[in-house]
Amino acid sequence: MEPMTYGGTAASEEEMVANEFLTFTLGSEEYAIDILKVQEIRGYEQPTLIANAPAFIKGVINLRGIIVPIVDLRIKFKLGKIEYTPFTVVIILNVARRVIGVVVDSVSDVISLNQSQIRPAPDFSGTFDTKYILGLASQDTRMMIVTDIERLMTSADMELIDAAAE
Amino acid sequence: MAIDMSQFYQVFFEESAEHLAAMEALLLDLDIENPDSEQLNAIFRAAHSIKGSAGTFGFTDLSATTHILENLLDRIRKQELGLRADMVDAFLEAGDVLREMLEAHQGRGKVDQEVVDAICTRLRQLSADESVAPVAPVATQAPTPVPSAAPHVASYASELVGKRAFNIEFVPTEISAKGDGIPNLLDELRSMGELDVLSQPDADARNVGFWQLRLITDVAQEKFSEQIDFIADNGAWRVSEDKSVTGNGSSAFGFFDESPGAPEEDRGYGFFAPLDAASENASLAADDASYGFFEPLPVKAETTDMAEEGDGYGFFAPLQPQPVEPAAVMAEEGDGYGFFAPIAPPSPAIVAIEEKPVVAPLVPAPATMPAEKAAPAPARASKAASPTPAAGDSSIRVGIEKVDQLINLVGELVITQAMLLQTAERMQESAPERLINGLAQLERNTRDLQESVMSIRMMPISFVFSRFPRVVRDLSGKLGKQVELKTTGETTELDKSLIERIADPLTHLIRNSLDHGIELPDKRVAAGKSPVGTITLKAYHQGGNIVIEVGDDGAGLPRDKILAKARERGLPVSDQMTDSEVFNLIFEAGFSTADQVTDVSGRGVGMDVVRRNISAMGGRVEIESVLGIGTRMTVRLPLTLAILDGMSVAVGDQTYILPLSYVIESLQPQQGDIKSLSNQARVIQVRGEYLPVVVLHEAFGLKSSWTDFTQGIMVVIDADGTKAALFVDALVGQHQVVIKSLEANYRRVVGVSGATIMGDGHVALILDVSAIAGMAKSNMQKAG
Repeated sequence: MEPMTYGGTAASEEEMVANEFLTFTLGSEEYAIDILKVQEIRGYEQPTLIANAPAFIKGVINLRGIIVPIVDLRIKFKLGKIEYTPFTVVIILNVARRVIGVVVDSVSDVISLNQSQIRPAPDFSGTFDTKYILGLASQDTRMMIVTDIERLMTSADMELIDAAAE
Repeated sequence: MAIDMSQFYQVFFEESAEHLAAMEALLLDLDIENPDSEQLNAIFRAAHSIKGSAGTFGFTDLSATTHILENLLDRIRKQELGLRADMVDAFLEAGDVLREMLEAHQGRGKVDQEVVDAICTRLRQLSADESVAPVAPVATQAPTPVPSAAPHVASYASELVGKRAFNIEFVPTEISAKGDGIPNLLDELRSMGELDVLSQPDADARNVGFWQLRLITDVAQEKFSEQIDFIADNGAWRVSEDKSVTGNGSSAFGFFDESPGAPEEDRGYGFFAPLDAASENASLAADDASYGFFEPLPVKAETTDMAEEGDGYGFFAPLQPQPVEPAAVMAEEGDGYGFFAPIAPPSPAIVAIEEKPVVAPLVPAPATMPAEKAAPAPARASKAASPTPAAGDSSIRVGIEKVDQLINLVGELVITQAMLLQTAERMQESAPERLINGLAQLERNTRDLQESVMSIRMMPISFVFSRFPRVVRDLSGKLGKQVELKTTGETTELDKSLIERIADPLTHLIRNSLDHGIELPDKRVAAGKSPVGTITLKAYHQGGNIVIEVGDDGAGLPRDKILAKARERGLPVSDQMTDSEVFNLIFEAGFSTADQVTDVSGRGVGMDVVRRNISAMGGRVEIESVLGIGTRMTVRLPLTLAILDGMSVAVGDQTYILPLSYVIESLQPQQGDIKSLSNQARVIQVRGEYLPVVVLHEAFGLKSSWTDFTQGIMVVIDADGTKAALFVDALVGQHQVVIKSLEANYRRVVGVSGATIMGDGHVALILDVSAIAGMAKSNMQKAG
């Protein structure tokens, strides 16, 4: 239905275009996700429990009339201290036409990265499957794990979607 | 300046589907012996509208087929051909083909070209069938023998007069202009008479632009105006008679220039100007040069609704016998015919009166209006008053997601308001009186607002009922039965989502009544009944429910046969079962008493699906039947899927909602009431019945505040006949809750059917009672 569609941009151009990423920490690791997938950031509130859900799914909250599931990535990836204070942060994501909240240790900042700054990640064995990692980016002394948050959230691992993609 | 037409496709699809539905309804309603000219015109208009818009959007297959259909309709309408039953059949089939085409264009299904060709050939044959002599005038013709009282008479009149000159002005659609539409049109016009091209677009515009022709011919205007309409759609054309040349044809069409509403400008785009009345945007078109005719398109989306509702049924009704074709076209297309624009203001009577003195002396054709008013037209008036289902007040087409968003927002507002009220109540005396009063007012207002917003989603059930005459007609023909369908309560409103989901189960029930209920005519006569069976379809409100009854005066359900069949299938039955228990057996999967499987029913699938679908909507089906007298199936549904009467229960620190319709009673168990079976499943004796116990905090892995059953509450639930006792910590209250989907952002959770937001803003989960009762059953089975 779009009257006009933009043609594919040349690869070199794409490399120059900087995208903005939101960075957050889980334990001592810093992650970066596409900011366009982030709807908002809010404080943690006690969610309503869901029966027989995995531990990292904290429950559902009412986000202005929408029922939004809350995932604690710290529990999922066994990182950081799991405590809920008024300063605990929930990132509300808008992925795959769904709204999902994730609990992280803290949100750091918003950075611009272009394609050339994101290097492929070496195969490492970690809690985080490399298939969800787009690459590694460094800025000054920080190293950030650029994550395909949409793929992660829609994966069967997260148990968020009935017919989850691989 | 290419405008992407695809953005209007959806509107086109919806509109065309509506026109098809309207056409079908009218066809089914037609009295073949004595067709009503008004209905014939309405059918023709529907077909014409589809053709028009299909042409605009470049769906040539649709427009071509409709064109053939329209030709035949036109001949019937003009009484050149008599209406026959086989024609109605052909029309209905053509409607089906068109619907398939529409679906194919929307990417669903495929069109069988052979079927299309077959129906086209059939329509052509019917249309070419000259042997049928013109039938007697249509029954409801205005009794006054005013020569020009009807449109076709007018057109005949124009045929009778000698050669006349017409000024033809049109702007072709881009699609037809780039094809060979224009040369074809010119050839065709040349074949009718003497044709001069007065002006044509520049050569580099490739035929796109303004054309001005003069045609001197003895052919009736309708003959060629149709062709032009095909090329230049949306009324971007006009034909006017040039009396200065011939002078003798002043009778029929003079009003094009002289009638009070005619645009002053004679050429160019002046004829768009009067549209200002309908939409200011349209006037833009007038300023634009060569592609001006494209401008009205966006407007079309807006204006059609308005125009469509008017659509000749509404405020054109009083002028009925005179649907000089343009009137109808104007109503349908919402633009173009500037000279009719003055009629568009919604009070037809006034307009008619205003027009009367001016028009009457001028031309005989519009004189039908005064004639109509003065003539003894009570019959006509009553006709116009009888509501056509498609007629109605004005409406706007809004995306359902917008409505849902509105409902969500209002829901939020209600919650916020409840929170404020709670806070104020907590302040007690210290709350200022004005605040309390203001909050009370706010509460009333929000309730009203919520009610009216919820009513947006409500639609009359006629949307479903309207499809059944066709089902009954086709099926009774196939089965060799004579069946009459009676519907009442079509205006009963229910939620749109329910409307969509109730259609299939109801179709099943009706097919079932037709196949198994109604007997063959000779059998009926033998039983002392009228050979024509009756199926009644009835909808009404009862309490907070909507009740839909499907009744027939057929053979009734054979209790013995059902019992025998059930035994055969190894179902646990006994002769002591009540009638309703026996009849409910037919809802069992795979159950069929039919001796032979027909292609209508008898395979035993269907009734179980009906029951499953209806209970998925939170409804129930009941059967009453008397052997030899008939059967009545009653479907009870909640008014809406969006709101539920719920009972909130506490388990540990969580609150859950139980749909109230499933709750039978609640009681506090006494010491020793609860017994365990083989130490796994527990049962409780309630009124002499042993019910399985579901301990909610165990099922959901929560911590109960109680250590002993006697401290909590047992809620007895009944889910489709399966009873169970649910142990909860406490009953909290009773609410109307707005149901929200858990699956929208999460996934299905066993035992939970949805979620809602409580007054304090927290989420509460709604329990899926059937699943919980199922849990109890499986617990018992494990234990037993």
